[in-house]
Amino acid sequence: MASEIGFISADDHVQEHPEVWTQRLSKTRWGDRIPQLKRLENGTEGWVVDGRQLPLRGVARAGALMPDRAREPLHWEEIPQVVYDAKERLRAMDADGVDYSVLYPSVAGVAGETFGRLTDPEFELACVQAYNDWLIEEWAKVSPRFIPQCIVPLFPIEAAVAEIKRAVAKGHRGVIYPAVPMELRDVPHINEPAYDPIWATCQDLEVPLCFHAGASEAIQIQPYAGYSEEIASAFRAIAQPVSTVSVVVNLLVSRVLMRYPRLKVVFGESALGWGAYLLEYTDFQAKGDRLHLEGYELTPSQLFRRQCYLVGWYDRASLQTRHFIGSENILWATQFPLTTSTWPNSQDYIARSFAEVPENERQKILWKNAAQLYKIQ
Amino acid sequence: MQIRHGLLSCDSHGQLHKDAFTRRLSKEKWGDRIPQVVEVREEKFAHPVHRWMVNGKVTGDSVCNCPAAMEGGVERGYYPQRWEEVPLKVYDPLERAKALDEDGVDGEVLYPNNPVSGFTFLQADAEFELACVQAYNDGIAEWREISERYIPLAIIPYLSDIKVIVGEVERTVKKGHRGIIMLAEPATTKKGLRHFNDSFWEPLWAACQDLGVPIHWHGSAGLASHLALPRWEGFSRNQFHTVSTSRLCATPAQLIPNLIFSGLLDKYPRLDWVCAETGLGWVNYVLEACDHEWERRHLWTAGILTRPSELFRRQIYVDFWYEKAGMELRYEIGIDKIMWESDYPHIASTYPKSWKFVEWSLEGLAVGEDERKKLLYGNALRLYRLS
Repeated sequence: MASEIGFISADDHVQEHPEVWTQRLSKTRWGDRIPQLKRLENGTEGWVVDGRQLPLRGVARAGALMPDRAREPLHWEEIPQVVYDAKERLRAMDADGVDYSVLYPSVAGVAGETFGRLTDPEFELACVQAYNDWLIEEWAKVSPRFIPQCIVPLFPIEAAVAEIKRAVAKGHRGVIYPAVPMELRDVPHINEPAYDPIWATCQDLEVPLCFHAGASEAIQIQPYAGYSEEIASAFRAIAQPVSTVSVVVNLLVSRVLMRYPRLKVVFGESALGWGAYLLEYTDFQAKGDRLHLEGYELTPSQLFRRQCYLVGWYDRASLQTRHFIGSENILWATQFPLTTSTWPNSQDYIARSFAEVPENERQKILWKNAAQLYKIQ
Repeated sequence: MQIRHGLLSCDSHGQLHKDAFTRRLSKEKWGDRIPQVVEVREEKFAHPVHRWMVNGKVTGDSVCNCPAAMEGGVERGYYPQRWEEVPLKVYDPLERAKALDEDGVDGEVLYPNNPVSGFTFLQADAEFELACVQAYNDGIAEWREISERYIPLAIIPYLSDIKVIVGEVERTVKKGHRGIIMLAEPATTKKGLRHFNDSFWEPLWAACQDLGVPIHWHGSAGLASHLALPRWEGFSRNQFHTVSTSRLCATPAQLIPNLIFSGLLDKYPRLDWVCAETGLGWVNYVLEACDHEWERRHLWTAGILTRPSELFRRQIYVDFWYEKAGMELRYEIGIDKIMWESDYPHIASTYPKSWKFVEWSLEGLAVGEDERKKLLYGNALRLYRLS
């Protein structure tokens, strides 16, 4: 493990450019269904997939780079190159003290949910493969400082497993899957053994499984209809990370981690603030509900510490109770280029957050845990 | 109020007598719609069992939610199936006071018990709802007449006009109630009710501020079945219980940001809010996330004039009963805003070993005498104007 690493940002987002899919999908086969940027009736632009406009607030998730952070770009020309161009991105990383950047999608959905909603499995697979190929060709090949993670067709499972194997062989280092797939379309409950081949494949290939917050609306309170766009957007940004609570608790009790003890699970954009409480409380409830009599050899928090990771970026007070989560179970990020991102002041945020954290723990959280997880040498 | 033990429960559940509603509501007018205990046959029981019937509908899977008061306590987890099994120390205020002394507890803030939940009386017409709400409020007010150790909270009639709702709050405050209990999101719980952020409620907020009574959200406050993954049939009953209760902090952790962004805290700066049975350790998430987004997005330009964490520490109270992680962050959360609760007589209750839980939560932390007083009863005395 290289000793000169200072910071691996474990949760950043790429921005897919307008030709990602139009260049890679057959126009004769898929026609106008291909994901593309279109001019809308109101004069702005929007992403359209399979003839439907995506529920994005603009053409990119790039608030941190906009003159007004609360506003997303409504036209492609408004987006600074650093958002969608890998070489430019490297410079922004240098300026912000970021050595490596673990990549999540934007247009494809923070957890790949955009294509998970499609009901045509062949079209879904074509869209997914185009994203995965593009990320290798235009990001991973530009610099080893980008850690690409693949998205996956939801179902059938054989297609999901085949795509994970194909993508990992091409260089992908993590597997992004929506935590509540049954909300996207008619597929089995996430706890069903039907998904076991995915968990087994991730375990065998030693790539982490990533459940990024925000792919399920049902576990988030929706903003009041009367809110301004600024307030609604801020509210979503706060409801989204903590919605991970339901996903974590479900996973810890589902036995998936017991069946796949070497599977690693990252909860992207989770924040840390609720983690200590949740693990303490889930242990308390599991004991009260006598789950140890139902074949659980480890407590929920022990399972968590063996296999799970939360991701922080602004958390300060919540780092004080990190021993309830585990210093080995926390990753750090900038969330570039989202509105919530600490960019371009990530080092100031880190200094503030880690002021009272000993050096060895600081190194684990800022890069060693991620380096081990993503095998960054 | 007199403090002898040094511990005040800010979330307990007062069980009204089985005849509390039949005594108060006109049989002639309401007939069998009156909430009452009836004998029914259920397949899994060999003998007839008792259940509450409200508006002609039988509810619940026991007659009283009081496992902590039963023989064998919470470890046994038994819920009485017949009224005669329910111990006096659950529904008789004088007998209950003795149990409080055995547990070393000075008094209790009272939330309802069977058959009353946040939405029990929402099922029919406004007149019926109001009659039931008033009967409940009158019944629990009697506890305070018997002993000042009981601090009752009132429920409100959602189907009525806002003037009637405010009128009921004024009426109950005169009777001795020290706060009201609300659904967190009325519009989600029942179609047709106004959204929490709707200006419809303004007269209520204004009245509560003027009367000096806080508004209480208990647990998920009507949203318990929301924000969950779809139920998985593969879970055993106990697994499902662990999953569905452990995740509940995600509800207040989203409700409080909405309260903060609603602008109500700055508009009604003397109105207090209480989150009961939600613990503490999620609050630091709310404070850090709200402050972060407020800074990142310059939300003072969007109408949120005061820093969210300041608003929280000014007007929002939370309860604890067992936790250590949250207690470590008591100054981040707000040392003047944390209260204790026993949750008597529910399954999560610390009864009859409340002090053991208290000491366990504070163990290993340098909690001074002054801090202890605040956490264990002082903050509550101030909030409920009891001293």
